[in-house]
Amino acid sequence: MSDATMDRTFAEPAEADAFSGIPPGKLGMWWFLASEIMIFGGLIACFILFRAAHGGWRAESADVHWRIGAFNTLVLLTSSLTMVLAWEAVKTNRPERVGRFLGLTVVLGLTFLGVKGYEYSREFGAGFTPFSGLFWAFYFTMTGLHALHVFAGIVVNSILWTRAARGRLEGIQHRIEYAGLYWHFVDVVWIFLFPLIYLS
Amino acid sequence: MDTVAENWLTARARDVRIWRWLVILLAVGLMVFMLPIPRVAIVALIFGVAVVKAVLVVRDYMHLKAEHLFIYVIAFVPVLILLGLLLALIPDIALRR
Repeated sequence: MSDATMDRTFAEPAEADAFSGIPPGKLGMWWFLASEIMIFGGLIACFILFRAAHGGWRAESADVHWRIGAFNTLVLLTSSLTMVLAWEAVKTNRPERVGRFLGLTVVLGLTFLGVKGYEYSREFGAGFTPFSGLFWAFYFTMTGLHALHVFAGIVVNSILWTRAARGRLEGIQHRIEYAGLYWHFVDVVWIFLFPLIYLS
Repeated sequence: MDTVAENWLTARARDVRIWRWLVILLAVGLMVFMLPIPRVAIVALIFGVAVVKAVLVVRDYMHLKAEHLFIYVIAFVPVLILLGLLLALIPDIALRR
């Protein structure tokens, strides 16, 4: 692919939308996040209602590993820091700095998924599957859907990292901001999933 | 030091400070989880802590505090709909005996 084609592919409309005064890319990302709020919020609302209706699922929730969940929370919180620093670094126009923080975000995202995979393997090993009851069906659905979102974020951040590592920020500056919005949203979802599943 | 470098240092210090608060709040949530107090109180406290953490991320890392009013509307209308759904269904599902 020629450089001109690549630049066109990554070109970002910088002008704000005439109606809202907000750049279309950012507006689109927030609309997307609103739809994601409905998806995760609907699941979380159902979980809360069913949990209250079934006496709190105290015995079932005793089998999840809160220490692993706490570690993963720390990992995601730290990845949010590296992601926001990548965006701040964009403003300094230092591709190597942007690349470093995006790379760290990708590594932390992979760590999260690795730990989640280890946790799943322990749970499957103990005989807990999505068919082991309503609590476990909710558990695997919510954490699995969240893990898919983390994976999607890793893919997007890896693409941006590759561009930044090549020393080219032209055309992707705002994409890093929008990828950051998505990544922080995934972090916020986990901030609620962690106490809901592991600590309640 | 030029303005760009100063801005970078200021932003980095601010973002790291927010991260420290997030880690402290995570530790607070875990300590509350271990307290010998009624479960209802534990759940209320840890969800209070989770809300504060979420507000910090949305306000400071997603920069919502500097956003256009329309973005607030997009972000909070689904949250209000969900809260309404939850409250409306509590009598039928959660309190059913």
